[in-house]
Order: sequence, then structure tokens, then C-alpha cells
Amino acid sequence: MMLQTNRFSAPAVFNAKKRMRLVVGIMLLAPLLITGRLCYLQLFRHEEYLSKAERAIYNSLAEDRLRGGIYDVNGHSLAESVRTHSCGIVKRYVKDKDATITFLSETLGISKNEINKKWNNAKNFFFVAKKIKPDVYMQLAAVRRKALGQGMELTPEYERIHPFGKSALDLLGEANSKNVGLSGIEQMYNEELTQDISKKRARRSARGEVIYDRHLKEKINVGNVYLTIDQTAQFYAERALKNAVEKNSPERAVALVQDPNTGNILAAASYPQKDGQSLAFQFTYEPGSTFKSIVIATAIDSGKLAPNASIYMEGRNWEVAKGFIVRDKQHNKDFLSLAEILQLSSNIGAGKVALEIGPKTLFSYFKAFGFGSKTDINFNGESKGSVSPYNTWTKVDLATKGYGYGVAVTPIQLITAYSAIANGGYLMQPHLVDRIEYTGGKVDKKAKPVKIRRVISEETSKTMRALLQTVVEVGSGKRAQIKGYNVAGKTGTAEKLSKEGGYAKRQHVVSFCGMVPATKPQFTILVILDNPAVYAFGSTAAAPVFKEIAEPLLVMKGVAPDQLDFE
Amino acid sequence: MKIFIAVVCVIGWFFLITVVHVGVFRSGRMVSKLQQEVEIKEARNQYEELEISRLSNPEEVTTYAEKQLGFVQAKPHEVIVLDEQK
Repeated sequence: MMLQTNRFSAPAVFNAKKRMRLVVGIMLLAPLLITGRLCYLQLFRHEEYLSKAERAIYNSLAEDRLRGGIYDVNGHSLAESVRTHSCGIVKRYVKDKDATITFLSETLGISKNEINKKWNNAKNFFFVAKKIKPDVYMQLAAVRRKALGQGMELTPEYERIHPFGKSALDLLGEANSKNVGLSGIEQMYNEELTQDISKKRARRSARGEVIYDRHLKEKINVGNVYLTIDQTAQFYAERALKNAVEKNSPERAVALVQDPNTGNILAAASYPQKDGQSLAFQFTYEPGSTFKSIVIATAIDSGKLAPNASIYMEGRNWEVAKGFIVRDKQHNKDFLSLAEILQLSSNIGAGKVALEIGPKTLFSYFKAFGFGSKTDINFNGESKGSVSPYNTWTKVDLATKGYGYGVAVTPIQLITAYSAIANGGYLMQPHLVDRIEYTGGKVDKKAKPVKIRRVISEETSKTMRALLQTVVEVGSGKRAQIKGYNVAGKTGTAEKLSKEGGYAKRQHVVSFCGMVPATKPQFTILVILDNPAVYAFGSTAAAPVFKEIAEPLLVMKGVAPDQLDFE
Repeated sequence: MKIFIAVVCVIGWFFLITVVHVGVFRSGRMVSKLQQEVEIKEARNQYEELEISRLSNPEEVTTYAEKQLGFVQAKPHEVIVLDEQK
């Protein structure tokens, strides 16, 4: 028996070993095949599977671009982005069409017919609603994972909200639902206002939800732009301009308020109002009589004429050159002082003063006051106006420039020049943006008062304010008088260039530029009405608008009266 | 025996890592959900704040004061300005 057992046990051991090797071989074969396959995938199909894995595991963050707000100087919001959603339907994924349409109709407040109409017109995808508010979004998001929400797509988008309605929209401009600035301040400061975070990847679950991890928290560094505009001043300027437009029906109108001591623009209203297009910086016109102040200031400051000088009126019919006659119909005087030239707005007086100054000196003062070059206020489309080189001027050119013809200026140039008269003689850099505050706490101050240059002396500035004060007290600017305050300013009524050549007799630009209180000016205000339908003058149409803007501004800023006996 | 303990340790280690990962993922999902809620509430709050801004707009206030309450804007000379330094 033993022998028998021994005889048969040997082959049994052999079989076991063989089987073991076979099993090990099979067991090794599987990893070998897997390894081989992995090598193949890694070496030859690496890119394909990498992108598949990326798509399966990662997702872009929902918000694609954050955008800061635009505020007035006191922090009142003028434009802000609010996150909303749009709701779209992918038809082929919808399980129960009727139930889905009923649900959407009830939740979004849109009629079933309207949704059905969109459904029938769309090939596969259509938007049911856009700019969905958070509360409604919550209701829609709640059913997204249920059968009712199959085929429903909720995409984040932004709504740019202007809490003050259309106020200052010509300055602010527009931003679209993707938070990209299209015009005005929105476009000019697009880089500072936005942060693109769409490239930030987030891990996602099988259901598509974003899984939070600490690397996901991006350092937000969006800027909020604070303008020098004071919303209350802007409202007063817009309201006064609206009233003036209703009364005079001009083609265009501008009201501009500046702080003469800092150069900051406090209000800039335009009519007609177009998003991102402010006439305060883009409109060019011949200033007419408001320019006489610049010419008289030049004559006094350059020493060509003394403040008490008198100018002969040539019988109120002055032949500057053969065939070119300038007439003064508004007075009967043979001589006018510089004050009277301004009060009566004498073209003969201002023209003769320009001749006294001479072209070279007058041109250099024009340039020093900032005419013929951009103010660098940094607003898109700012015009530089036009002042031709003095060596091309004829005697007639020189005389006409004396009363504001033959030069083209922008409202911002003229008000900044008047501010130089108001502040003691310095041309200040005008500012529209006060500061940019970043979410990280960094503040980039933009509106530091910068004196570009001294244009006229302190003494000339004082004399000019006194002369311009008489214009409002006894001259053409009487309608700008404000009880308790000394006002200095100058009216302007300029004929417009005709398309047929020469000047059109019935088309005018009427304006008033002034400062208040004249003894220590806090505001410089310019009002322009371009081609009023109603026959009007700077004294009758523009000066009252100045008053309408200045009065509430003085109350708002608590500026004390500078007249002692006004009761 | 040593090999057995080593294998158990390795398996235990992997199990622990898996448990921690699952925990992290769960928390991540929870945080994500909460964050979404916060965002919605923040957006709702922003709407409310903007509505307050709209209602405190000078145009709204002035129109209401003048037309509803019959107020009249004071002239600057009627306002007494107190010197803050005194």
C-alpha cells in the first residue's frame, strides 16, 4: 500500500507545482496585460484621455468676470453689477414638456403661450427668461436635479444697475451682461473695474456641482471707481438744464460745475443724453463773448492795458479792414472802460483790445489758458478745440478772436480757464475720477489738485473777478444775481457758422460762465445752449440757468454769503 | 507574520486616506452649497441696498418733498451757516 502511495504521490506533487506555475502565470498575465495596456494608453493616447479626465473632473467657476461699482465722490452708488441668471431650455432633454412649461410659466410669470411660441420657433435651445432675480432663481434651482428640471439650463449673468436712473449716464456709459464696459467711464476704466476669473478650475462632483477647496478662493482684486461728481450737484445741474431745454428747445445743451480750487468736476450734464458721450468734453464751439474775459485778462496781465484804460469806440462802426465792419448797437458811448466792454459786451472794445495785445502775446496766453490742447481729463473722445498759429492771423482774425470768433473751444477748456481767473491765476488739472479703491484695500488717488501753471497773476485774477462782478451787477449778466452773494461772470451769444459759408443770423450758441461767491469762488459754472429754437441770448436764457444751479449748490455746501448788507 | 502586519498596515493606510478624502469631498460639497446660498443672499441684499439708494436719490426725495409734502427749497441767503470752529 505504502509503495503504491509513494508511487502515485510523486506525479501529484509534480501536478501541483505545474498548476501553481500555471496559476501564477495566469495571475501575472493579467497585470502584464494591464501594464501593457497602460503603457499603450500612456504613450499613444495620453492627450485624448487627459482631456476626457479634465472634462469629467473639473469645471470652470460659474462667475466669469467680476466688476466693481462706480460711485460719486461721497460713495453713492451710480452703477453696480448684480448677479442674475438666465434660464434656457434644451428641448431634447426635457422629459415632460407640459409640466415643465407650466412650472416655468408659474415661476417666471410668463404666459404659457409665450413659452410655447418660443418652443416652437427654436430648433433645440431657447432662452425662456433673462436677468432672473435671486428669489426666482432659488425656486428654479430647487428643481434642477428633479425630472421637472431636466433640460433646464441656468446660466449666470450680470445686470448693471443704475440706482439713480439716467442721471450721469453720459459720463458713466454702458457695461453689458458679461460685465464688459462698452462706453464712457465703464469702458475707460474697464481694466481697473473687472477681474476675469473664468480660467479658475474647480473640481466637480458626478452631478456637476462645484466642490469647494481652499485653492479655489481667488484673491479678488476688483476696483471701485469713485468720481469727483457729487450726485446732488449733478441732480441740480440736470434739473436746471432740463428746465432750460423745455423753455428754449436747443439742439444741444451743457451744464458744467467745477471746483476752481481743485479742478474737480462736480457735475456735468448734457442734452441730448447719450450713453458714454458727454458734450462737456466732446462739444466744440465758438465761445463768442464769454471769451472776452480771457482777452481782457490777457491785456491786463501782459501790461498792454491798465485796468482803468478806455477804448475809443470809433462811432460804434469800426472798419477793421476794408469791407469788414464791426458794429456796437447796444450803447451810445464814445469811450468804454474795460469794465464797460465786459458789461455791455462790446465787440468793438474787445476787438480793439486784441489788436493792442498783438497776435504773439494773445496766442501765448490762449495756449497758457489751455485752449487748443486736450485737458487730459481722460475722457474718451475729448476734443482739443482749435486755435490756429498766430503767424497765420490777419488783422481781422486778431480782432474777431478778441470777441470769441475764429477759435473753437470745448466746455471743459472754457470752464478751466475761468477757474484760473477764480482761483488766483492757476490753471488747474481738471479731474473726473477722484480715486479707485481696490477690494484688497489699496487706494489709488487720482484727483490730487495739480497746478499746471500760473496763467495770470494774483492781482490780475482779483481785478478780473471785480470786473466780471460788475457784469452781473449792472451788465448783461443781471439774471445770474443771487441774493446775499457776489457773482462774477460773462454772458455769450455767438452766431453759428452757416453751412453756406459765413455766419447764420438766426442760429446762435448762448452761454454764461461765472463763479460764486466772487470774493472767494467755490464754484465755477458754465451753461451752454446750442441753437435754441426760441430766439434767446446768453443774458436771458443761460444766466438764469447758472442761478438755478448755483443757489442749491450754495445751500448744499453751506457757503456763507459774501455780501454784508443784502437784507 | 511580519508580512501580514505590513500588508494590514498598508491596507489600513489606504483605507484611512480614502476615508479622509471622502470626508474632504463631502465637506467641499457642503461648503460649495453653502457658498451658493451665501451668494444668492448677498445678491438679494445687494438688490435691497440698491433699492434704498434709488429711494434716497436726490431726484426722488426732492420730487416727494416738493410735490407730496409741499416743501420749498430754501434760498442760500435764508440759511444760517454756523462756523464749525467756533
